[in-house]
Amino acid sequence: MSWLRDIDRWFMAEVLPHAAVYRARAARLCGPEEAEDLVQEAYARVFQAPDHRAILGPRSYVLTIVHNLALERLRRASVVRIDMLAKLDHLEVRDAAPDAFAVAAGRSEMRQLLQLIDALPPQCARVLRMRKIQGMPPSAIAEALSISVSTVEKHIAKGLALVTKARRDHNASVEEACPVNTPSISRTPA
Amino acid sequence: MSGEHPIHQPHSGLIDAAASWLAALDAGTADLRAFEAWREADPRHAAAFAEVASTWRDLDGLRLSRDDLPGGDAQAAHVEARDVDVEAVEAEAVASPERRHFLRAAASVGAVMLAGGGFAYRANARASASTKVGERKSLVAAEGLSLDLNTDTLVYWREGAPARLWLERGEIAIRLAGGGAEFTTPAGRFQLRSGTYNARLREASCELMVVDGALSDTTGRQITAGQVGLATSGRIGLQQRDDSELDRVTAWQSGTLVLTGQSLDYALAEINRYLPSKIVIGDPALSRLRIGGTFATDNPSEFLQALQASFGIRAAVSASGAVVLTRT
Repeated sequence: MSWLRDIDRWFMAEVLPHAAVYRARAARLCGPEEAEDLVQEAYARVFQAPDHRAILGPRSYVLTIVHNLALERLRRASVVRIDMLAKLDHLEVRDAAPDAFAVAAGRSEMRQLLQLIDALPPQCARVLRMRKIQGMPPSAIAEALSISVSTVEKHIAKGLALVTKARRDHNASVEEACPVNTPSISRTPA
Repeated sequence: MSGEHPIHQPHSGLIDAAASWLAALDAGTADLRAFEAWREADPRHAAAFAEVASTWRDLDGLRLSRDDLPGGDAQAAHVEARDVDVEAVEAEAVASPERRHFLRAAASVGAVMLAGGGFAYRANARASASTKVGERKSLVAAEGLSLDLNTDTLVYWREGAPARLWLERGEIAIRLAGGGAEFTTPAGRFQLRSGTYNARLREASCELMVVDGALSDTTGRQITAGQVGLATSGRIGLQQRDDSELDRVTAWQSGTLVLTGQSLDYALAEINRYLPSKIVIGDPALSRLRIGGTFATDNPSEFLQALQASFGIRAAVSASGAVVLTRT
């Protein structure tokens, strides 16, 4: 994937693996409806950082941005939900210990991906399996299925988008099962 | 942007757009400049693309672990190896899917090596990658250093500060982020700043193009973004080219050959780089024909059909396997 820049690889390795944690934090601060939007806004800020390599704790860094953005939004909102504001007052920006659920999520990731592919529309799933599991190049898939390369491309784009969105939804459901910010395991980041 | 936070930002729409770009890049049909422009336009685009690319990379894990989902400590080592090796493995696997089983075994060996202190070995050894005639390959050589190899290419590299890179044969695109790198070719040694470059060996010379960044030879002569230099015996001579040159030089990365009125001689020399069985001119009068158009480098029949349709040139396969062009 030569189209990835250094910042993209860094983002994929250091920031994205904790997506469920940001999502959970955002949901606690702003409510579940706005949570994903807040996380995406925070990601955009990360990409605007002048020197991403200088960010020592990417996870705490993103959580801090999430926290600040939430605060900004609550201050602008015409009607402030009193329960949210109360939470914000009590929460300091602090990072939870590496969460048990994050580790467990990594273990089951492969199975989860297979399930997500199985849930795709049939032709879409078929093309994505041929490309990513069997490792066939797009031109060979086109030939095997008697479809054009551009149709292969459309199936791959659709499947990839659906799987990415489904993983976001999965992150959102993890948060309900395992609240992150239990004070007893909180610690100040280094 | 500008401090505003749109309440109804279509994030799922951005994911769709990013996935389309990635699929096009994967199929080699993307316009690289248009893609870069889209990604640069908004940090949300960059974030969406990275998220989609992350799914894309994770899906590669299925190829290594579909039948044997590992558990426990093996999983940790496996994941380590995946981060390091999966792109090289991917490049190989795309080239020849039937070697998948071998590659899976190779990846497992990689996992054991990394777990057992293989890092020292990796740090000191010179790694290499090569392509056969007609093959193309993309890989991440080291952190912040990614390479595209064109047909019939051999390249070595060594991690470090600065990273070192040797082009022994063929043509590469270099994308360098973070620090600089030292780049050695038979035509001389050069310092690269972080940026994007194209380098192609031509006999004893090396044609260097700076898409982005800057490059200098040992005498301090420097070329910068948009410039093309021809290096011979360690010195860069600057060549003035027009703007269309950039597209033409980098077209191979999407598997195309762009001709803008070059002679048939030249066109054949270019397309033959990609063909195990070469196309030769049977009628000397043909060599001065001027050709224009965009052709797929992996499918010469398209090119031959264009010749037949436009110029009435016939192609016949000789006893030696070469394709001979004659006027009908």
